[in-house]
Amino acid sequence: MTAPRTVIVTGGSRGLGQGIVQHFLDAGDRVATCARSETDAVRAWQADPAYADRFLFRKADMADREQSTAFVKDVLAEWRSVDVLVNNAGVARDGILALFSDEDSDTVIDLNLKATIHLTKQVVRNMLAHGGGRIVNISSITGLTGYRGLTVYGATKAALDGFTRALAREVGSRKITVNSIASGYLRTEMSHGLDDAQLNQIVRRTPAGRLGEPDDIARAVAFLVDERNDWITGHVLVVDGGLTA
Amino acid sequence: MNEIETRIVTIVTELLARSDRPELTVSLDAALHGEDGLGLDSLETAELSAILEDELGTDPFGAGLLPETVGDIVAFYADATAASA
Repeated sequence: MTAPRTVIVTGGSRGLGQGIVQHFLDAGDRVATCARSETDAVRAWQADPAYADRFLFRKADMADREQSTAFVKDVLAEWRSVDVLVNNAGVARDGILALFSDEDSDTVIDLNLKATIHLTKQVVRNMLAHGGGRIVNISSITGLTGYRGLTVYGATKAALDGFTRALAREVGSRKITVNSIASGYLRTEMSHGLDDAQLNQIVRRTPAGRLGEPDDIARAVAFLVDERNDWITGHVLVVDGGLTA
Repeated sequence: MNEIETRIVTIVTELLARSDRPELTVSLDAALHGEDGLGLDSLETAELSAILEDELGTDPFGAGLLPETVGDIVAFYADATAASA
């Protein structure tokens, strides 16, 4: 796995995903990402000559299996194999379960879990054919501790951690590592249904004294996908400023 | 052997070499699974499926078939070629 590696980051157009994409581009890797809409960040990457032939974007809804399959096929047509997969795409819907709509449950489970499993299946087949790879699933501390109002979201993230452990056992002998990062609360999650009072309370309880930044997570991703780190697999790495310590 | 037979046998031979079983002889009538055959386990079968798709664009396992011999795999591609002719 020598540079430039081919990297897929799902949901890389904004927020945490944007930070992860930028980190890999800065490292000289080829990066493919997808999202339901094009953002200023995507347009800037596409226009930047420094990323010519190193950045690929497809407008796609990962919860739609046909679109997800087409995205992976496009990446393979362009670069033949995938070295690193970062399953970042996700959605949060907040609300007390007793009042939670079935539609919201389906939305969260379809994208966070079913779409991740479908895309990973495609990519892991390519990694099996090409002799190895690195997979990182972005989960959440809400999957470890639970959080009032994020029951379904937390359930999908806990499930992702279980998926990580099982897949790590399944493909570990084929030089494929699979790990999770249980992310703490990021500044970008202001849009994930947490209000200012909740965020201020989180900051007060966080030993590091601040919310996380995308780059805090991107650096942890870079560590887990480093080709030298082939003895770390099936692990859930908590990156949360010490909140759950 | 014709071109597709040679290619499939080569793919299976290389897979066995990767799995530290280079001593096995791959013939068209060799069973893919079991002690009397090539002994592919479920992960090796998945690898074979992925390699076939990667090199040939499609694979019998992905098409819902369960080939039992190397010849069954060859037949899948021969049938596909005949159907597209």
